[in-house]
Amino acid sequence: MDIYSCLKRPSRMVDNKRMRTTSNFQWLFSTFILLYLMNQVNSQKKGSLHDLKCITSDLQVWDCSWKASSEAGRDAAYEFCIENRSHSCYQLKKTNVKIPALPPGDHEITIHSPHDFESFTSKFILNEKNVSLIPDTPEILNLSADFSTSTLYLKWNDKGSVFPRHLNVIWEIKILRKQSMELVKLVTHNTTLNGKDTVHHWSWVSDMPLECAVHYVGIRCYIDSLHFFGRKVWSDWSPLKNIFWTPVSQLHVFPQDRVILVGSDMIFCCVSQEKVSTALVGGTNAPFIHLDGENVAIKIYNISASASSGTNIVFSTQSNVDGAVVFAGYPPDIPQKLNCETHDLKEIICTWDPGRSTSLVGERNTNYTLYESFSGKHVRFQRVEAPMNESYQLFFQMLPNQEIYNFTLNARNPLGRSESTILVNITERVSPHTPVSFKVKDINSTAVMLSWHLSGNFTKISLLCQIEINKTNSVQESRNVTIKGVENSNYLVAVGKLNPYTVYTFRIRCTTETFWKWSKWSNKKQHVTTEASPSKGPDTWREWSSDGKNLIIYWKPLPNNEANGKILSYNVSYSSDEETQSLSEIPDPQHKTEIRLEKNDYIISVVAKNSAGSSPPSKIASMEIPNDDLKIEQAVGRGKGIVLTWHYDPNMTCDYVIKWCNSSRSKPCLMDWRKVSSNSTETVIESDQFRPGVRYNFFLYGCKNQGYQLLRSIIGYIEELAPNVAPNFTVEDTSADSILVKWEDIPVEELRGFLRGYLFYFEKGERDTSKMRGLESSGRSDVKVKNITDISQKTLRIADLQGKTSYHLVLRAYTDGGMGPEKSMFVVTKENSVGLIIAILIPVAVAVIVGVVTSILCYRKREWIKETFYPDIPNPENCKALQFQKSVCEGSSGLKTLEMNPCTPNNVEVLETRSTFPKIEDTEIISPVAERPEDGCDAEPENHVVVSYCPPIIEEEIPNPAADEAGGTSQVIYIDVQSMYQPQAKPEEEQENDPVGGAGYKPQMHLHINSTVEDTAGEDDLDKTAGYRPQASVNTWNLVSPDSPRSTDSNSEVVSFGSPCSINSRQFLIPPKDEDSPKSNGGGWSFTNFFQNKPND
Amino acid sequence: MRVYVHVGPLCLLTLLLPPLSPAAPISPAEPINQAYSLALYMQKNTSTLLQTYLQYQGSPFSDPGFSAPELQLSSLPPAAVSFKTWHALDDEERLNRAQGAFLALTQHLQLVGDDQNDLNPGSPILLAQLGAARLRAQGLLGNMAAIMIALGLPIPPEEDTLGLVPFGASAFERKCRGYVVTREYGHWTDRAVRDLALLKAKYPA
Repeated sequence: MDIYSCLKRPSRMVDNKRMRTTSNFQWLFSTFILLYLMNQVNSQKKGSLHDLKCITSDLQVWDCSWKASSEAGRDAAYEFCIENRSHSCYQLKKTNVKIPALPPGDHEITIHSPHDFESFTSKFILNEKNVSLIPDTPEILNLSADFSTSTLYLKWNDKGSVFPRHLNVIWEIKILRKQSMELVKLVTHNTTLNGKDTVHHWSWVSDMPLECAVHYVGIRCYIDSLHFFGRKVWSDWSPLKNIFWTPVSQLHVFPQDRVILVGSDMIFCCVSQEKVSTALVGGTNAPFIHLDGENVAIKIYNISASASSGTNIVFSTQSNVDGAVVFAGYPPDIPQKLNCETHDLKEIICTWDPGRSTSLVGERNTNYTLYESFSGKHVRFQRVEAPMNESYQLFFQMLPNQEIYNFTLNARNPLGRSESTILVNITERVSPHTPVSFKVKDINSTAVMLSWHLSGNFTKISLLCQIEINKTNSVQESRNVTIKGVENSNYLVAVGKLNPYTVYTFRIRCTTETFWKWSKWSNKKQHVTTEASPSKGPDTWREWSSDGKNLIIYWKPLPNNEANGKILSYNVSYSSDEETQSLSEIPDPQHKTEIRLEKNDYIISVVAKNSAGSSPPSKIASMEIPNDDLKIEQAVGRGKGIVLTWHYDPNMTCDYVIKWCNSSRSKPCLMDWRKVSSNSTETVIESDQFRPGVRYNFFLYGCKNQGYQLLRSIIGYIEELAPNVAPNFTVEDTSADSILVKWEDIPVEELRGFLRGYLFYFEKGERDTSKMRGLESSGRSDVKVKNITDISQKTLRIADLQGKTSYHLVLRAYTDGGMGPEKSMFVVTKENSVGLIIAILIPVAVAVIVGVVTSILCYRKREWIKETFYPDIPNPENCKALQFQKSVCEGSSGLKTLEMNPCTPNNVEVLETRSTFPKIEDTEIISPVAERPEDGCDAEPENHVVVSYCPPIIEEEIPNPAADEAGGTSQVIYIDVQSMYQPQAKPEEEQENDPVGGAGYKPQMHLHINSTVEDTAGEDDLDKTAGYRPQASVNTWNLVSPDSPRSTDSNSEVVSFGSPCSINSRQFLIPPKDEDSPKSNGGGWSFTNFFQNKPND
Repeated sequence: MRVYVHVGPLCLLTLLLPPLSPAAPISPAEPINQAYSLALYMQKNTSTLLQTYLQYQGSPFSDPGFSAPELQLSSLPPAAVSFKTWHALDDEERLNRAQGAFLALTQHLQLVGDDQNDLNPGSPILLAQLGAARLRAQGLLGNMAAIMIALGLPIPPEEDTLGLVPFGASAFERKCRGYVVTREYGHWTDRAVRDLALLKAKYPA
């Protein structure tokens, strides 16, 4: 049994190894199975030692333990022997032993357990690979928290001193939250052991503020030794340590005043003793995350940028409120457009644009630091709280002997940092200050000294300054000057080539030679250069006075560029061979003087003076050399000037002079002159004084031996115009067939050009028949034209005219500028006298003869004439008059009586007296027209009814209500105006029946009176009562009064009616025209009453 | 003695004058009148100050109708008092309380101004109104001192009501503190108007 056991034991623990290591695999495998089965039988039966296990925590000591059989008593003793080179055994009273770590390889272990009655010996093969490495449980030295940052700080000792060599250790840390220990974080942390005890630190930032919930932390480790081939196992978890916060008040919100990045998530929590009712984030409710007790939390997702005072988170309970503020913003943007330059080479100014706003202000705002890497110096941006678009700039004091600067601008805020760099050679980045104290001083009349001050240390560089010179009415000029720079000093520069006595405006700006930027322009300075003596004498001319005794000297004022100052006076002197005489000084505005000269040959000299001195004299000879060969020429200008040419004359040693004047002026006449050099042969005279249509005289003088000779005399116009007036002309003589016309010259002033001729028009025509319009138009054949181009001709005889005929004559002058106005005249030619006499005598003789014959005949036939033309009073029965009248009324055109001439207004005055009524009735034939025309006009409306009368027309059937109302007693027929236009056909038909109906002499009117007094006689009675009858049937009469305006006056007793009609005519005597009616009012005459009145005679 | 004018800038100029020397006994009516005028003028601006202040603090402060009467400051005496107690106060006590309150208010307004300079540096309107309110409170203090001199009452010594405590406050606490200060400034101004009206009736000119 022992042997068995001894033999078999070793195979039990190391079977696997052996299988792998021995070469004879098959043999081992069969042996293993056999031994194993036997060992199992033995151990169960006899309770032998088994399950040898070895572990290590430090790789130096192996702790081996085994299991003994159940028979083994408590006081069992064991002998643990390691069968290696040095046989070592351990006498033990327990079933475990600590042995030094064994080297790699198999080691045979024999455990002998001597027992009272039997002994067991078990053998094991022990290899490092069978040993487990289980580190000691780590211990947390310290767990602390920074509540303000929600950070946990963990501290523990790795106990590295127990390990023999460097080892990698993996630590696993778990964080549990709330009393329910919810795992919120499990992290691993790698370190190495270096043979010494080392305390490790680890921190963790909680998303949940630590104040609101208890946090637990545990740690374990795993030693990752490469040289240990056994099993490596995690240590046990350390005892948990926790962190909690003891509230000091009823309600607390965490975290406070946190600055976070826009878009991040964040948890806020509230420690409360009572139930939290609401949580507001920027005004909106947020859902709760419940923590231990009454504590709650909320989570904000994707927070947006805050206003300047931050975003408020407010928790409230029944009785209390607390909150926190979070500032959500951005880290600083990279500073943009960083630029550094200097104004004075003493201080560098760096400017930049902060870029995107951070949404953070106050103490959370971005801090800027400007750092210079070569010198290691830096400056900080001192923020002045201002609007967002403030200018960002920093000043950096320049360092002596440093030209290259490498600037880094750091921007930093609670959320991050950024930077921007710039490398500058500062001598190339100079933008000088504006030059100040800019002054101008005179050097002489053509040069000035400019001075200005420029602050800055420019000793090492040269300045380039630009001077701007402005002269009135001149182009602006710029001059650049380079100046050696100095420190904080005045700079001087001389500016020459200026004109004397001229107003200049200067200003200056500067830069450096290595151009970067111009400074601003300095202030402008105006300066007048000093005077210099005039550079030339005045342009001089002379004229002899009209009496030839005095010489008038003219000179022109000097132009500014020659005067060189203000001309104060002129000195005029004249000299001959014998003497020289000076006149007294002539003050400036005067530009001519007169000298009485004894003789002709003097040299006159004129000198202009200003405060700086005198001009050189200009000299002119008084003598005029006569020229016999002189004729007057004509010239017309071109454009604004007039061109004069002449032939070159070598005799003319000095210059030519052209003078001109207005020819209408009296002599000596001088408008202006011009000098032309002696080798010229042409000049153009232009002057603003020239006017079109004005004649000027031009004189060309040549200068010869100090005397002037008139070479040419020219009259000219700058532009010719048409004559202003027509020539005055008269008829000198007329005959039956011709007229002699004579005219006068037109004055030069009115001619306005060179006269080129006259145009003479003539035609038949009376003065009144103004056919002469458009006489000059050539199209008219009856107008004859004569063009007189010989301007010396002053008369013209027109022949081949008709006798005793009126002729219309027109004369006008013309120049190249056009036709002048015309002057016209009517002339009647004399008649042929014989023809005239015959023409008178024959008609006279014929008239006498006819008169005599007529007288004789009339005398002889006087009875017949009387019968024919003046019959006796007509017998009504003969009705001759009626017939005559009828023909009249039928519109015989031969009789004017029926023309529709204006009707005499037939005003009938109706007196409202009863007595008048019978009167009318009695005189039935009284014409209402003739009755009282004068009275009618003057009638007073109260008493009369004035009626515009229409001849007696009555429709007997028609009662006349108008008449009733208009006074009742009126004896006049009133015709309704509205019924004026009755059909015309009817009267005409009835007219044919007139002879039938017409019985005897009838009154022309039938008065139908509806008065209250004269009561209505029956219609039948009317015929009887009316004595006088109309000459035609009254039935045919028409009620017409076409043009009488009906009175609209309601209470008027004056009612005006239509015009009177011829008795039996259908026509109105007054034509239907309103304007004709008033005419007829005045007169009481008409053909109607002529006939009617006649019988009364 | 300068006369108050009902124009803001002129008022502010006169506010800064030091209190009168106690040597010249004068009628209390004039200083009471002046103080009353100033208090009336201040009263017109208190609600504007409170609204402006709240407007810049964000929601829920800036929400319409915001009110948190439960917020109080221990360093600031509340203006609320029972009418009976108030009415029974004698002149000295009445003026002392008002004096104490406005002294505390001037210090608190300075503190709130500093707080807002950090929280709302880009809001010159708010900062100006806070500064103006503080100057007016100081002016009223001076006027009250003049009244006390005129009435022959001792002037209480100035105290530091703020102490060291408030500087560590969180932004939310600072906002709330500012709210309480501007609110109490209004309440105390209302009360001062009543106090001075009562004194005015008591000491007619």
